[in-house]
Amino acid sequence: MTENSMTSRERVLKLFAGEEIDRPPCFSGMGNVTAEGLKKFGYKFAAVHSNAQMMADSAASSYKLFGFECAVVPFDLCVEAEALGCEINVYSHLEDILYPTIKTKLINTEDEIDIQLPSDLATRGRVSMMKEVIGLLKKDIGNDVAIGAHVLGPFTLAGQIMELNTLLKLSFKKPDKIGKLLEMMADALIVIAKEYEEAGADYITVREMGATSDVLSPRVFKNLILPYLKKIFAELKKDSVIHICGKTNDIAGFMVESGAGAISVDQKNDVIETRKKIGDDALLFGNYDPYNILVSGTTDLVRETMKQCMNNGVNAVWPGCDIWPTVPPENFHAMMDEVKKYRR
Amino acid sequence: MATEEKTKEILAKLKEAVIQYDEDASKEGAEEALKEGLEPNDAIFNGLVSGMEEVGRLFESQEYFVPELLMCADALYVGLDILKPHVTQLDLGVKGSVVIGTVEGDVHDIGKNIVKMMFDVAGFQVYDLGKDVPLDKFVEEQMKTDSDLVCLSAMMTTTMVGMKKVIDDLKAKNPDIKIMIGGAPVSADIADKWGADGYSADANNALKDAINMISSLKKLKEEAEKKKG
Repeated sequence: MTENSMTSRERVLKLFAGEEIDRPPCFSGMGNVTAEGLKKFGYKFAAVHSNAQMMADSAASSYKLFGFECAVVPFDLCVEAEALGCEINVYSHLEDILYPTIKTKLINTEDEIDIQLPSDLATRGRVSMMKEVIGLLKKDIGNDVAIGAHVLGPFTLAGQIMELNTLLKLSFKKPDKIGKLLEMMADALIVIAKEYEEAGADYITVREMGATSDVLSPRVFKNLILPYLKKIFAELKKDSVIHICGKTNDIAGFMVESGAGAISVDQKNDVIETRKKIGDDALLFGNYDPYNILVSGTTDLVRETMKQCMNNGVNAVWPGCDIWPTVPPENFHAMMDEVKKYRR
Repeated sequence: MATEEKTKEILAKLKEAVIQYDEDASKEGAEEALKEGLEPNDAIFNGLVSGMEEVGRLFESQEYFVPELLMCADALYVGLDILKPHVTQLDLGVKGSVVIGTVEGDVHDIGKNIVKMMFDVAGFQVYDLGKDVPLDKFVEEQMKTDSDLVCLSAMMTTTMVGMKKVIDDLKAKNPDIKIMIGGAPVSADIADKWGADGYSADANNALKDAINMISSLKKLKEEAEKKKG
């Protein structure tokens, strides 16, 4: 098979389907907009989060400029919490690139935990806008590359709308109460993810970053969080990925058990060990450092790292987190080139 | 003065209270320590902090995780709040004031709070700027308070880069300033490249570093006492 025999989109979809492909794709399920891409359009980062055309232009630019094999929206992690009623900060007063954050929490203390899901969740905040962006991307580059969208995991979303200290302590002290909240979060995420699927997203990445074993015990993960991840993946129709940051080998088996089509791990995780744990059949995406390698490494280090990821057994070369926008163009090109020339 | 046996018992109680995240026991232990005439510093360092050291070990061996760490910290603060007003300050030869906060764009403050706790324990004057702190604010607060230590925290790669600017600004205004950076994406390499004086990659490392720092302060204090004695 030659490089030209399949499009990036086919390569990604075939990978999810378990069919033979020429080489691992180089893509992501998380943010990958670059300063270079923004510059091309003269967009300010703070402005692209709330304008569908600007977001679509920026999201497509990593493919158009570098051949990155996907386009992914949203860029920030606040869409779900915003739809649930949180106010967000996009830092429009700053020239520097900062990702939006949540300004106010819905739940501060234990007695505020009984909230209701809005019945019109699918049209609140920027959910409709994301659908529009996905539609624009489909029209623009949808035949060439897979279009991805991401939602948070239930625990991470709970951490967005609830004071994190309280959430963590109650996860330990009152798991029943937190379980109830997580079930509600899962229901909200299903509604939103389904909207993205309907709009044409090819794959959905569920980012359960807050549930890393650096923070929570594998036991708490299995008992408290896994059931709701399972619920989400059972409802998704398109291809799917579960991403968790940090050292995840103690829960890698649970990540596969969640029902996600692939598991995504970051650079702190030993992927050779992960591969041993999950077997040859499960799809494993990872795990280069999107800042220390891609942004501040030399092109040689970038090439070496990509080769190493593939030799270590990942099925797709994929960053450990959002790609930090200031990635030097030569590093992005080096990454793509190294993956494209790789043959097993 | 309490008998040696009673002192031991109270210290053990405070230590266990922290390890078992038992706020009630911490309160009782601290009150008992005052009633029995224990030296408050002794109760803090050899009771509460000694418990926290064990918590650090449990965290490292993955018996404890962040929720447990937070609950242990709560228990420590209950005892500390009771004991602290009775501590007579010793001149340790260090100025002991610190500006601490999570950089703008980042709303995570757990690691920062753990480090802050250890500064509180050590009797530092802590100027806590909170989370999502505009970068200029660090420089402003350092100048205002004349603190000789600034701690910056960032939990995400996407906010870590802001720390470089703060380090540059601080060092430009005051070359002698000591700066510690912390958070999941931080590495020795980054600390070195950006000119920070110390770093901690996670809450446990931060806890260990802070305990080490306090242990050396304790040593200084003991030496000062010896000289005095």
